[in-house]
Amino acid sequence: MPNVIEINNLTRKYGKGVAEVIAVNQLSLNIEYGEFTAIIGPSGSGKSTLLNLIGGLDNSDEGQIMLAGNNLASMSGRKMSDFRRDHIGFIFQAYNLIPVLSAAENIEYIMLLQGISNAERNKRVEEMLQLVGLEGLGNRRPSELSGGQQQRVAVARAMASEPEIILADEPTANLDSKTGASLLDMMKGLNEEKGVTFVFSTHDEMIMKRAKRLIHLRDGSIERDESNNNA
Amino acid sequence: MLMIRQAWRNIFRNIRRSVLTCTLIASSLVVIILVDSIINSMTGLMVKGITETIEGEAQIYHSGFRDQYDPELYISDPKSIISNLDSDNEIKSYASRVIVPSMIGSSYNSDGVVLYGVDAEKESNTSRLQSAVIEGDYLSGSDKELILGRLIAEKLEVGIGDRIVITSSEINTNQMIQELFRVSGIVQFGPKELDEGFAFINLSTAQRMFNIGEGVHQIAIRFTNPELANSPDLDIYKTLPSDTLEAKGWLALQPGLGAMLEMTGLSTLIMGAILFILASLGVVNSIFMSIYERTYELAVSKAIGTRPSGIASLVLLEGLFLALISCFFGIIITVILGIFLKENGLSLGVMEFSGVAFPDNIPVILTLDQFVNFPFYVVLLTLVAAIYPAIFAARIVPAQAVQKAL
Repeated sequence: MPNVIEINNLTRKYGKGVAEVIAVNQLSLNIEYGEFTAIIGPSGSGKSTLLNLIGGLDNSDEGQIMLAGNNLASMSGRKMSDFRRDHIGFIFQAYNLIPVLSAAENIEYIMLLQGISNAERNKRVEEMLQLVGLEGLGNRRPSELSGGQQQRVAVARAMASEPEIILADEPTANLDSKTGASLLDMMKGLNEEKGVTFVFSTHDEMIMKRAKRLIHLRDGSIERDESNNNA
Repeated sequence: MLMIRQAWRNIFRNIRRSVLTCTLIASSLVVIILVDSIINSMTGLMVKGITETIEGEAQIYHSGFRDQYDPELYISDPKSIISNLDSDNEIKSYASRVIVPSMIGSSYNSDGVVLYGVDAEKESNTSRLQSAVIEGDYLSGSDKELILGRLIAEKLEVGIGDRIVITSSEINTNQMIQELFRVSGIVQFGPKELDEGFAFINLSTAQRMFNIGEGVHQIAIRFTNPELANSPDLDIYKTLPSDTLEAKGWLALQPGLGAMLEMTGLSTLIMGAILFILASLGVVNSIFMSIYERTYELAVSKAIGTRPSGIASLVLLEGLFLALISCFFGIIITVILGIFLKENGLSLGVMEFSGVAFPDNIPVILTLDQFVNFPFYVVLLTLVAAIYPAIFAARIVPAQAVQKAL
């Protein structure tokens, strides 16, 4: 399979002089289409920074990121926003749904940004709600949903734009183990059925067990990159 | 539509803050409309007071007459002018006058006055002279009758029927003349300078006394549409020989009043600007508070693909809704207050300003344009105030905000 993510000699530093911290250090990495990958490591190892860089939310100091054949460094502002909208799905630890919109509207939101027609949006919203097991709950506001249900909406939102990559930052951190496992099984199913590439940043053992590839980070560099044959 | 729904619902996320912001904006709107109405009413009363009391909305006179009120500068043959006035549909009424400074004396005292010779019938349609009579009778056309202002009558210690001697000089020959009159009426206009400095006799008597034939010093005019008075393009003005006669509207006749009206407009503008700037600062503060509370949410919106312009539009829409809600309630409150003030007036006490006496209750009249223009300015300024927070929100860096949740 071709690479959906190609990272070459990526470096990201914070601070200056004695306070300088190298969050990501000369990191190179390729991830193929359809992978279910977990970036793991202790706190401060650079997982989230790496995920932000891959998602175009942050800029590198050195190196290059190619995402679905596009060089992120050549994009800025509006072009970057449009690229994220069309190619990347985000799932955050704190769900981060828009509280004043219903579950269905949260899912619809990104499709609206894409300029998808009303009929198509409605169809896809129903499909997504069904996919994440929230049929009939589309009209509920996030505050009326449990944490697990909210994260399912977040997954549906990330999937709604039909991206090549979904970046999930500690998606199970705020969930109990049963809900977390259920959510991960759902994402695994989406990965296998739809071929969407999932990249997790996590400490969660449950994700590590399910990920087909584990990338261990330490001090901003890849310490170990291994396949998980048990997944 | 989703963004509109989102912006609308965001207004109600912190109801207390939105209510306070809307109250601030709505209060500013109510105050500026009411103050504008009160000022309009007062200036209206002032203009009416000056034009309706004695001056008229416009005057025709011999060139230079108004500079020093020189009696020798009179219109010797007003027939053609009067004929034009009679045939002009825009003229509501007019009154010819002879105006001569004179000495007035009673058995007890004497003083200087401006003696007006007036056409009783035409004057009653043009000025408030007839309605200002508080004692005795209005002029009937009799040769020896005279009307005095209340204060000069008190000074001369005369009442109805008492004898008065007018001393002046014949206009063309400068020969001294004296004539005996009897007080037939006493008038009270309100302004002190009118009540103590004016006396009125019949026009024909004055023309005979001063030996000017059918000449007059002034023709005061009122128009069917008072707005016309200050237009220099009126037919009636154009037909006058410009070398000997002048015609001016009340704004030119009373340049002080014009300057004051301009100043009043300016002061309303300044007050409105201060009020709206204060309200705008409140809006800026409120929107910034709302943005700070939602920094992470806005950052996530940007992260998932909302363009900076989309974020800015959302904030501007929220500002627009705040303004519209404020205007809605502001207009309702203003209408309620306006109805009350229209029925009851605004009591500021009896006062005299710039030669005009104001009644105890000033009627406050609200006009449709106030309910269109001022809310429009409120919406516009609120949107302008929301631009800075909108730009701030559009510049939120997703990575910084997103990291907070890790």
